[in-house]
Amino acid sequence: MNKNIIEIKNLIKLYDDGNTIALDNLNLEIKKGEFISIIGPSGSGKSTLLNMLGALDQADEGSINVAGYDLMEKKDFSHFRSKEIGFIFQLHNLIPNLTVSENVQIPMIHTYISDEDMVKRANNILESLNLSSKINQFPTKLSGGERQRVAIARALVNHPSIILADEPTGALDSKTGDVILDVLKKIHKAENVTLILVTHETYVADMADRTIEVRDGQITNSK
Amino acid sequence: MKYRNLILKNIFRNKARSSLAMIGIAIGIATILGLGLLTDGLSTSTEQALTAGAADFSVVSASSNGQGGGPGGFGGSQQLINETTVNKIAQISGVESVAGILRSSISDDSTNSTNNTDQQPSSSNSGQPSMTMPATVLGMDSKNLEMYDVKVTNGSTYSSANEVIIGKTAAESQNKTIGDTVTISNETFKIVGIYETGETMQDNGIIMSLSTLQNLTNNTGKVSSVLVKTADSSIANKTADTIESTYSDLSTSTSLSGIDRMNSGMDIIKSAVWGISILAIFIGGIIVVITMIKSVSERTREIGVLKAVGWTKKWVMVMIIGESLILALIASIVGILVGVGVVEILSLSNMLQFIQPTYSLTLFIKALGIGLLMGVIGGLYPAYRASRLAPTEALRYE
Repeated sequence: MNKNIIEIKNLIKLYDDGNTIALDNLNLEIKKGEFISIIGPSGSGKSTLLNMLGALDQADEGSINVAGYDLMEKKDFSHFRSKEIGFIFQLHNLIPNLTVSENVQIPMIHTYISDEDMVKRANNILESLNLSSKINQFPTKLSGGERQRVAIARALVNHPSIILADEPTGALDSKTGDVILDVLKKIHKAENVTLILVTHETYVADMADRTIEVRDGQITNSK
Repeated sequence: MKYRNLILKNIFRNKARSSLAMIGIAIGIATILGLGLLTDGLSTSTEQALTAGAADFSVVSASSNGQGGGPGGFGGSQQLINETTVNKIAQISGVESVAGILRSSISDDSTNSTNNTDQQPSSSNSGQPSMTMPATVLGMDSKNLEMYDVKVTNGSTYSSANEVIIGKTAAESQNKTIGDTVTISNETFKIVGIYETGETMQDNGIIMSLSTLQNLTNNTGKVSSVLVKTADSSIANKTADTIESTYSDLSTSTSLSGIDRMNSGMDIIKSAVWGISILAIFIGGIIVVITMIKSVSERTREIGVLKAVGWTKKWVMVMIIGESLILALIASIVGILVGVGVVEILSLSNMLQFIQPTYSLTLFIKALGIGLLMGVIGGLYPAYRASRLAPTEALRYE
């Protein structure tokens, strides 16, 4: 039985000087290697939850422990994000003046990986995502699906233990979206990485091992 | 990919904006360097002109009333110094050259000459009107004229006992010119040259050889003052002190008004140059700040991504400052080249006839340093802003 990689207890996140409750006493446990989908309407708190898990934002109350890190501590979690988390956004957010390979190398720049290994590692991942012919191209020359695959490569390059994907198919057509989901599923299986995917589409959510429904900052259903 | 490669790529991603910023900084640096080259050149040229051969100070007898020595000293009772003392002063450490001067006062009225120097209308034999004689007759060796700031502007200097040169003011007021004669103490002298010192009072006199005036005034072996030029102007005061402490009967006067005025004038020019330079730095700095703020603003989402993938605040800050610094470095090099080029063109086209630009490593280092400082200071605020961006807000930025 796998151990919990994420443990959240009574998590509260407030905005607008406490007038808006984004997360309301939320409790959640996720095991290492699980594929979790989070669904819910707009403004339900699913993206806020994802930001808390990736230490992009900090909760006001409660406890949140991810991959052994206490994310309620008042400190910089850059190292945690670099080592444990791979982010995939709805918009690819690639840097336009860098080549595909260079974009993938960005998370490795401040690690102790040599330049040569950096290039090798980035190109290997791009090859596994069928992007070997695009390595030296700039993002503007790629299709939407290709750009998102580059973003996936960037998220995977530091071998994170958790991938946080915020509506990764939201900006893609259904056919391209399916390709991306297929890629994510394969990675999840091959790497035994914990995959947490935020979506508002039920058919995407159903691909996960477990679906968590969030409403008004609380988990209303987990199946 | 190396961190520095990312910085370099970021600088040139918006070529138009970066070029504009570089032009702004380059103009600032070119201004600073160009003005620096010219003011240093002006300072050197002026100093050379003023101190080329001039004495640093004069020595007079301590019991004189203090007016017998340097420029501006006229008349008054004076105690004379033995010429042997002149030779002794020449032996003192730091003294490069010395010149003994004998000064003789004469009355303005040609018919009532003083007991020292009698004078007669010089051109009585040539039919010229009766003249009012110059107030001062100086005796000094012709090779020492430069030490007294005397320039023969017309004719030549005296080479025999019966030749003299006359000051420009005296020549004009007495209607004398080269070839005319003057009579002093019943001795007739031929005017062979007209001199100028730049001071009207000094130019209202006659200069002849030292031995001639000594004989004329029965002061053989005596001088009124000794002009002293040191090997280095910076030790003039120290050398003067040494002379005063060695010879209690002598006193020195180091007030060389020309150099003082030059220094004062140069201080004003340098202040103005600094004022312009500070303005150029300010404008350059503002351009860097605006450029970098715009650059950071355009890349807000990217900075959010960098933070999401694990970049620390420090790395983001160093990246932005690095971009600003390299931008300023390139612009500074361009500015230096432009500054030197413009000054050289002006120099070659004879628009700077009296100023020879002075190139010094210090000036180039200063220009480069100011450029880099502009880059660091200009990049500091945008870098701070970028580093403080909350990742979640940055990622939502449209």
